[in-house]
Amino acid sequence: MEKGGIRVDPVTIDTTKIKITKKQPVTALDKLNDTGLISTVLSAREREGMILFSTVDQVFNWARLSSLWPVTSGLACCAIEMMAVAMAHHDIARFGMEIFRASPRQADLMFVAGTVTKRMAPRVKQLYEMMPDPKWVIAVGSCASTGGPYHESYSVLKGVDLIIPVDVYMPGCPPRPEAWIYAVIQLREKIKNQGYGAKWGLNK
Amino acid sequence: MNAAEELKNLLPGSVVSTGLQLNKPMAVIKKEELLKAAGKAKEMGFDHLSVITGIDYKDHFEVIYNFFSYNKKQNLALKVNLDHDKPEVESLTGLWNGADWLERETFDLVGIKFIGHPNLVRILLPDGWNGHPLRKDYDMNTEQFVTIGENGDDVVSTDGTNLLRRK
Amino acid sequence: MESDELLINMGPVHPSTHGVLRFKLRMDGESIRECTPVLGHLHRGTEKIGEMKTYLQFIPYTDRLDYISAFPNNYAFVKAVEELAGIEVPLRAEYIRVLTMELNRIVNHLVSIGSLLMDLGAATMIMWGFRERENALQLFEMLCGARMTFNYIKPGGVREDIPDGFMPKLNEFLKDMEKRIDDYEQLINGNEIFHMRMKNIGVISAKDAVNYGWTGPTLRGSGVDYDLRKYEPYSIYPDLDFKVCVRNEGDSFARFIVRMDEMRESLHILRQVVDNMPASKEISSAKYGIAPMTGTPTAVSSYFPRIFTPPPGEVYSRIEAPKGELGFYVVSDGTTKPYRVKIRSPSFCNLTAIPSLVTGLKIPDLIAAFGTIDVVLGDVDR
Repeated sequence: MEKGGIRVDPVTIDTTKIKITKKQPVTALDKLNDTGLISTVLSAREREGMILFSTVDQVFNWARLSSLWPVTSGLACCAIEMMAVAMAHHDIARFGMEIFRASPRQADLMFVAGTVTKRMAPRVKQLYEMMPDPKWVIAVGSCASTGGPYHESYSVLKGVDLIIPVDVYMPGCPPRPEAWIYAVIQLREKIKNQGYGAKWGLNK
Repeated sequence: MNAAEELKNLLPGSVVSTGLQLNKPMAVIKKEELLKAAGKAKEMGFDHLSVITGIDYKDHFEVIYNFFSYNKKQNLALKVNLDHDKPEVESLTGLWNGADWLERETFDLVGIKFIGHPNLVRILLPDGWNGHPLRKDYDMNTEQFVTIGENGDDVVSTDGTNLLRRK
Repeated sequence: MESDELLINMGPVHPSTHGVLRFKLRMDGESIRECTPVLGHLHRGTEKIGEMKTYLQFIPYTDRLDYISAFPNNYAFVKAVEELAGIEVPLRAEYIRVLTMELNRIVNHLVSIGSLLMDLGAATMIMWGFRERENALQLFEMLCGARMTFNYIKPGGVREDIPDGFMPKLNEFLKDMEKRIDDYEQLINGNEIFHMRMKNIGVISAKDAVNYGWTGPTLRGSGVDYDLRKYEPYSIYPDLDFKVCVRNEGDSFARFIVRMDEMRESLHILRQVVDNMPASKEISSAKYGIAPMTGTPTAVSSYFPRIFTPPPGEVYSRIEAPKGELGFYVVSDGTTKPYRVKIRSPSFCNLTAIPSLVTGLKIPDLIAAFGTIDVVLGDVDR
């Protein structure tokens, strides 16, 4: 393998010349290392490139959780708080989530934000089925979780988990924006520990 | 003399009685004469139809129309009593466009038929829903589910197997 | 030239239908030949729940009707119950109620204008609107601990008195807001694209607007000088000085300008309320103001009995909510629960006119006209 005039052999590495840096994260790569997702970052002084060791799971999970794209589907009161979360004051863009997609085909996260009525239920299900895998669902507020205050009503579905699988339940009526952000952090934790590695206990 | 009594003077045959709805004048109208009385009220200047309320009293239905006059700044309520077996009354859609949806809603939730309404179908609940929820004898224990039919319309059934993940 | 008829389905999941409203559109080329709104995707059966709950238990459900402006909903239902039972309300409580309602009117118009402009493709206004809304919500939170669904106004008064430190923050907000509205006007009002999108779009005459049962800012945009706060006054509105904002054009732009003007009027009302706030700490009706268990006069925290039976009767009571005339028809049969609660919601009645408003226009104009009607689906479907 020729690179920059120096012959690089990936098999024989002179370990005395490898330095593992433990300083404050400055570069993007350092920050990446700091997340704990990439297990080791090795830099060889004589080499121009760097070598990363990781698992496929970890890289994929890191990519997925860092940029969740929610689908714009407000149902009721919680949708107004969803707008508040997306706006300047609370600013969910800090979590890579500012791109609310109007089309479910481009989204991988659904906030079920509000009361799911009987009439809306098949549409919510259809919306979920239109999203490409992998996909996650957050049930926002007591209505989407259990039916909430409208549990006795004749036209309200008693929890969205009756029709689609839910990853995170968020209590509140409606939940405060801080609760949204906490729920998102919980979902990121969950995604971090997904995959084959998680099943074998390797991703921790 | 309040507006209800004025209406009674104009239409002595149609108005059964006059009274107060707490503080607003109210006239009870014969159900056959509602359209005539409402037309007269509109002539008297009551141009704003505020709300149509249907109430199930188990032995009879009541439909109450609340009007307001922008010029006179006065209120007027008209009330009709309907049989429980045959809740039918004339539609006011010819006089007020706003009556359209209000009557459809009353039909949907209380089950009162408005004769002469151009498009009397359910508005809030999907077509085919069983029962009228605001009646006192509505069955609250039977769950009804909605699925999407072939042409995109709603299909109502008590069987939710297509929709639910588990029974 | 002949063109094929095209059927377009808009919603119920669509970014600019403000919720779960569905339009069935029959298009002739690019213009709308027929528009049929399909409602009921958020029908939660609130009126039936009203028959199952006691009067006090139903107040939280009124919050969730028009969830952008919940204080006026609370007040409209409570006003109906108070009229039914003949409860007197102390002056300070009325002042606090008007304070909350007018603040909520500003919040409602901010959200309304912000989302209208976002649907038209201008994202700045909604950022600005929600920035100021957040300040107002912090004030609400000081009052009752909730941001959107308050359950604060109750028969005979309000739940809690104004906390320490509220008034200075409110004054700060009022001072700030004045400048902000100037900013909005500078940003939007002279914008040529905005004029092209809004002027002469969705025109309705005063006669038609009245016939369709329009109320609120939408009706005042068509030149009908009507405001329930002025002409069927309730609470302390007779003592306050404010003018009714009216425009004569009847198009989308007029409705937008009416909302902008109303925000200024609300600020004017709020300043009067702050200046004249009674000093007495009485915030709950004397009839129910003593807690029977302790026997102490509840000057600071108010009390209302859970078992409460108004005399039999029926009442239709209405107020000027930010979106229009909000009325509650309450029938009591002398038990602890209402026999019937009928909600006359402004959004539902204002939406009636949309088919006639947009016929012949294009789909982007439907968005503009629909945005200025300002509906909330919780209020439409109940």
